[in-house]
Parts: sequence; structure tokens; C-alpha cells
Amino acid sequence: MASRSKLSGIQRQVLALYRGFLRTARLKSPEERHRIESVVSAEFRENARNIDRKNFVYIEYLLRRGKKQLEQLKDPDITGLSTLEINKVYKPLNLK
Amino acid sequence: MAAAALRPAILRRIRLSPSPAAAAGAAAASQPHALARWLARPMSSHDAHLTRDEVVDRLLDVLKCHPKVDPSKVSPEAHFEKDLGLDSLDTVEVVMAIEEEFKLEIPDQEADKIDSLPLAIEYVANHPMAA
Repeated sequence: MASRSKLSGIQRQVLALYRGFLRTARLKSPEERHRIESVVSAEFRENARNIDRKNFVYIEYLLRRGKKQLEQLKDPDITGLSTLEINKVYKPLNLK
Repeated sequence: MAAAALRPAILRRIRLSPSPAAAAGAAAASQPHALARWLARPMSSHDAHLTRDEVVDRLLDVLKCHPKVDPSKVSPEAHFEKDLGLDSLDTVEVVMAIEEEFKLEIPDQEADKIDSLPLAIEYVANHPMAA
């Protein structure tokens, strides 16, 4: 049984972060969970479409930012969406 | 499943007795192993371990329910990316859905390897705690 072609280290980190968000969303109320999943899914997919996979510096930056957002989201008192929305304001110049 | 078959009889005996403790004792004395297995069921799925067919059926259902999967393409041999057209983020979602279906938590390193139904079937069928 051939397994998937080896994921690069940075790919594994991205998938682990995505999985972390989905896991944390599961602990919220159904309505919050649905909103979190929608926002997170859209943002990961937008980044996957728009960011050059060789732009390691920016990807590392996004991973660090994402991990901070995930830690905040784990706080049961935080709905999380406002944090996610606020951080979307920043758009680097090289993004089209 | 012998324990499940005996359950109505045990319940009847317990319910009708004016002294539930004595009834439970009597049942235990006459069928100690059956009662022990029945009492253990809420806490353990070991003696009700999933059959492979059950695992396959439920996994197929999980895949067919995913919004990006064409149900007509789902088969026990399907590869998530090559056959079902999913990307790696979709695959994360599918593996998370499998976790929820079988009440498992799959560690990241294991989850990263599950990219097809055959691998998912092997993982769940071999997992002692899958429920």
C-alpha cells in the first residue's frame, strides 16, 4: 500500500495547524463551531491559492500568527471570530 | 452479543423483584459471566468490537457525506486525492470526520499517513478503542 508522497516539513506544519483549529472548533457550541470552521477553511484555502509555496519567510510568519490565534481560540471564553477577523486586515504588498 | 440477548431477561428479573440488590445477586449467581459482560458494556467496547464490514460501511458513509466528495466515486479502494479529487486540506477534514464517527483521536503523525480508504480501514479496524 503506497502511502502519500512525503509531505514537506512546512506542509505538515500547515496541516497540523489546520487540524488544530478544527479540533478546537469541535469544543465550541455548534453555532460557533460552524462559524470558526467556515472562517478557518476560507483563510487556509485563500492562502493556499495565493501564496507562492517557495515564499518560506511569509509562510513561516503565517504559521506563527496562526499558532497564536489558535492558542487564543482555545480559551473557552473567547468566541475567536473577532480575533480572526482583525488579523485579516493585514495584507502584504506582494499579495494580488 | 450473547450478553445483549440476555439483557431483557436480566432486566425483567431485576425490575420485578422487590429487592433489586438481591435480584442482581441471584442473576449473578446463575449467570455470572453474562451479567459481568453486560454490566461492562457501558464502559468498554472490547466485547462489542467493530467488524471490518461495519468499519467499511461507516467509512463509506463518512466519505459520501463530505461536501466535496462525489458519492458515486466512493469505493473501499478509493484514494482521497487521486480518485476523489480532494486536496490536502480536504483530507484533513475527512480524517477529522472519521475521528468523530468512531470516537477516536488520531495523532498528527498517524493522521498525515491516512490518504486513502484502505489505509483508513486498516487504522480503524485495528484500533482497539474504535466504537
